[in-house]
Amino acid sequence: MTQPIDTSIYIAITEAIRDEAKRLLLEGQVSAVIGYAGARRKGSAQPVIISQAEDAAKLIFSPASVNNLALYLTKAKKEIPKNGKIGIVVKGCDLKAIVGLMGESQLKREELYLIGVPCAGVLASTAQPSTGLTAETIAPKCTECNAHLPAGCDYVPNVQLPAPLQLEEKYIAEITRLEALTPVERWAYWKEQFAKCIKCYACRQVCPFCFCEQCLCDRNKPQMVESTPRPAGNTAWHIVRAMHLAGRCAGCAECERVCPMDIPLNLLNRKMAKELKELYAYEAGFEVNDKGPLSTFDEKDDQSFIK
Amino acid sequence: MSRIGVFVCHCGENISRTVDVERVAAQVGKLPGVAFATDYKYMCSDPGQNLLKKAIIEQKLSHVVVAACSPRMHERTFRKAVESAGINPFLCEMANIREHCSWVHENREEATVKAIEIVGMMVERVKKNRVLPTITVPVTKRSLVIGGGIAGIQAALDIADCGHEVVLVEREPSIGGHMAQLSETFPTLDCSQCIMTPKMVDVANHPKIKLYSYSEIELVEGYIGNFQVTIRKKARSVDEDKCTGCGLCMEKCPIKKIPSKFDCNLGMRTAIYVPFPQAVPNTPVIDRENCTKFKTGKCGLCQKVCGPGAVDYEQEDRLIVEPVGAIVVATGFDLYTINEKPKGSMIKGYGEFGHGKIPDVIDGMTFERLASASGPTGGKILRPSDGKEPKQIVFIQCIGSRAREKGISYCSKVCCMYTAKHTMLYHHKVHDGQAYVFFMDARTPGKSYDEFWRRSIEEEEAVYIRGMVSRLYQKGDKIVVMGSDIAVGVQVEIEADMVVLATAIQPQKGADTLAQKLGISYDKYNFYSEAHAKLRPVECATAGIYLAGACQGPKDIPDTVSQASAAAAKVMTLFAKDQLEREPIVARVREAGCVGCFYCKKVCPYGAVEEKEIRDRQGNLIRVVAYVNPGVCGGCGTCQATCPSKSVELDGYTDEQIVAMIEAL
Amino acid sequence: MHSEKQKHSFEPKIIAFVCTWCTYAGADLAGTSRMQYPSNVRVLKFPCTGRIDPVFILKAFQQGADGVLVSGCHPGDCHYIAGNFHARRRFAAFRKLLEFVGVDLNRLQFSWVSAAEGGKWVEVVTDLTEKVRAMGPMAEFKQLALEEQWSGTIGTPELKEAYNAI
Repeated sequence: MTQPIDTSIYIAITEAIRDEAKRLLLEGQVSAVIGYAGARRKGSAQPVIISQAEDAAKLIFSPASVNNLALYLTKAKKEIPKNGKIGIVVKGCDLKAIVGLMGESQLKREELYLIGVPCAGVLASTAQPSTGLTAETIAPKCTECNAHLPAGCDYVPNVQLPAPLQLEEKYIAEITRLEALTPVERWAYWKEQFAKCIKCYACRQVCPFCFCEQCLCDRNKPQMVESTPRPAGNTAWHIVRAMHLAGRCAGCAECERVCPMDIPLNLLNRKMAKELKELYAYEAGFEVNDKGPLSTFDEKDDQSFIK
Repeated sequence: MSRIGVFVCHCGENISRTVDVERVAAQVGKLPGVAFATDYKYMCSDPGQNLLKKAIIEQKLSHVVVAACSPRMHERTFRKAVESAGINPFLCEMANIREHCSWVHENREEATVKAIEIVGMMVERVKKNRVLPTITVPVTKRSLVIGGGIAGIQAALDIADCGHEVVLVEREPSIGGHMAQLSETFPTLDCSQCIMTPKMVDVANHPKIKLYSYSEIELVEGYIGNFQVTIRKKARSVDEDKCTGCGLCMEKCPIKKIPSKFDCNLGMRTAIYVPFPQAVPNTPVIDRENCTKFKTGKCGLCQKVCGPGAVDYEQEDRLIVEPVGAIVVATGFDLYTINEKPKGSMIKGYGEFGHGKIPDVIDGMTFERLASASGPTGGKILRPSDGKEPKQIVFIQCIGSRAREKGISYCSKVCCMYTAKHTMLYHHKVHDGQAYVFFMDARTPGKSYDEFWRRSIEEEEAVYIRGMVSRLYQKGDKIVVMGSDIAVGVQVEIEADMVVLATAIQPQKGADTLAQKLGISYDKYNFYSEAHAKLRPVECATAGIYLAGACQGPKDIPDTVSQASAAAAKVMTLFAKDQLEREPIVARVREAGCVGCFYCKKVCPYGAVEEKEIRDRQGNLIRVVAYVNPGVCGGCGTCQATCPSKSVELDGYTDEQIVAMIEAL
Repeated sequence: MHSEKQKHSFEPKIIAFVCTWCTYAGADLAGTSRMQYPSNVRVLKFPCTGRIDPVFILKAFQQGADGVLVSGCHPGDCHYIAGNFHARRRFAAFRKLLEFVGVDLNRLQFSWVSAAEGGKWVEVVTDLTEKVRAMGPMAEFKQLALEEQWSGTIGTPELKEAYNAI
């Protein structure tokens, strides 16, 4: 028996988002609103950018609203008209990404109108969008979520979030399992995972923090990371990717969701987040930090690993 | 295609004993890109260098690798040599096959193989080296001196005498510092004021010195040769230009009972005052905390009596920006607060010695004021409590200093000598008195210092007791001092009339705040750190900033003056050229790749990264990218390792060069 | 002290990334003091440990290093004020990542060696060399480099046919 998760508030949220988006566009407070709209398949949702008040009725929020829309503020930002503020619908995890991007000078708070969504969870996969949200179908990231209710937004629909269910924390469990293995066993595990990689770079495309104009891994003078989709190049890519996101990743797990080869990418990100929390008490949150854990230091930092 | 020349040095037998240098040259000669490879007995010798230069010209070499000793030894030598043969010096690299190979390995085969690999690695590296032009930075030939004590005065006069403008900033209303407070100075016993005040007057009259007294440093921006310093000129309430220094205002001021800081609270001053009669500038300042006019709005006597109308109650703090090329920090010292534990300090205090509680327990500087002819007692040694002449006086050395358990482990350096001086001054003034000194060791290195100390014992009859004081307490009008004489092994108890504590020397309060403004480093006691303890003792690690005097560590007057003149000489060295040359190992931003996340700015230890706006022809902002100021960049490369897209590169250590080396392995 | 040189069946390749001001100078001092240590180490000089990118460590393993040493100035001694403090955090994180993907951290050593510590340099290099020698070659990355995406066996009849048609 799978445990159903109550998402009844999403109906009220959808209404509230529509009203707010309409008001914002009518009053000219924003030039566009980035949100979710229903797609062709029943129950599905896709990102949408609306700039007309009458399009506000298209907006929805559902368990299929999986995308981290913060992405559309960075990589795709050139597509968005520059005049005026932009409204954006954000779940807690998406907001953490936006906060991180502000800390990295990629976004300015005053250029955004944040419509926060109290979120009980979204689907792990949108393959069957009309499936109800259950303990089994929920995204693993949602089992460990500490950000159901975004803070510091311009607007949050006034709905009562149902008390979150105690679900098995999937990443923590998996990290604990892997940590207990020997290095040889772990290497074998990751070797098998990375061997699957086809270097489609979907993980890079979808990551709000992969905003570089030119990725280090695409450089060939010098070639820092082997670019071929062979096991050696794949392994290097995934290690470099995890290192570059360490201390920055907001945990939206979009990389893992979009991976066509089902590589547990967020597992690496969660592991780094765990280490940085233990080492430097850092955690991605709703407060804009001037400096991340790896761009600052304390003279008393741990150095037990240094001879 | 590169035409690399490889020159393998025998270093006499230092390399060739364990490394088969001919084999190294032969092997490396086969590497792609190597046009010429040879070995020679002494590459660094004149014939060796000539061989190198000749080969560059004859073989039309484009790059050079010298396989010899450590680059720390001869990199400069060979870079100069290749430059004289027409190649950019940064196209020459050294392969260290002596310190890192021949000297640390015995097995000839192993050492030779390693040497071949090391040279091969450097060959691959040098292929990726780029021509680096020397970076030049303009120099503003004015300097700032912070602190108007003897250190600052000496540095300012030396620099100004060379014809360069000096901006001298002093926090107090007058320059002079602690030296102006001293009575006589060791080891010659000449009067401090007699040698100090002429220098103060020189400062005031020097056409090249701009003096800001009663002023503090607000902000320091820029870098070597190009600093912008904001100075806060505190409101004096007296117009310096109008005031003639007649002193009528002070005469008429009704508030006359304010303890004088200059006289260590022994004497009194008025609310409008100059700290001491020889003050420079001789312009009074109103102590707004104690002035009736400022407290109640009434009075205004000083303004009424002032002929030139210099008194101005409305005056406000002014901020002045001065461009300078070099900064001398000479903020001096302060004495250890002995009676209590200062807030937030690691220093524990010496409550047990009764300082601050027993009026006749004083510190060394207070004794100086008592002994000073211009002091509150006119040079008579009198007890602060009842004005009687003390017949038994006890001096206790090392109060605070050399006491790890109390928080300070260093030696304050001057106390042994000034205590010896105190015993002499005391004996000169109180002929029938007896001085006792409790001491751990007498530290008297310095010209004529030990002779001076011995004189205090042998001629001036001071009794030195080796051992520390355990306790002292008031008994009637006496102070009982209990201690041990470890030389004899007995307990000593002296009924003293007065006790003088030789308290530790500490940096001035706020030394850390100033260091942060200047971007210089300081130790755990807040003494400023020199760039190198032995070889660069007056320079800070931050280029263009120099140290003079006790702000760097406890010092006596001769040492302070020497260091001040040394700092001035360093400033003059900098000012000798119109353009400053620096090694071009600096970071550069590849703007096309930069997305402006400013991780580089966050990690830069020098604050060398700026935000640069890129605009189109209409002036619309396109984006903001990082810019590294080559004058400020220290060349550590932390930015590059942090940059996610590697859009900032450290010249001389580019990713290409390093990856080429790793791939050569 | 001319002890007989032992013959080993495996000589590990050790790459050392060092800063120029402290550890490089410390290694120089070991040389001027004529100390002896195994010849397996190859030194790459950086201005500061702050310049050392984690990718270089990865690259070194991929290029066949059996052990990697990263060494710089002691905390507080950095010639560049704080480069080593930044490096310390960076490598604290990076080694955890490598450990998680299955790299044995015994192959990756970090140390502070000052310009005065020639003896410590010898000790650190000798220890790492001996440790790695005992562990045997770093096979993981080397095997990876030899592997192709597909195992090379043409499993299905369709693939076989397609292959033959090429």
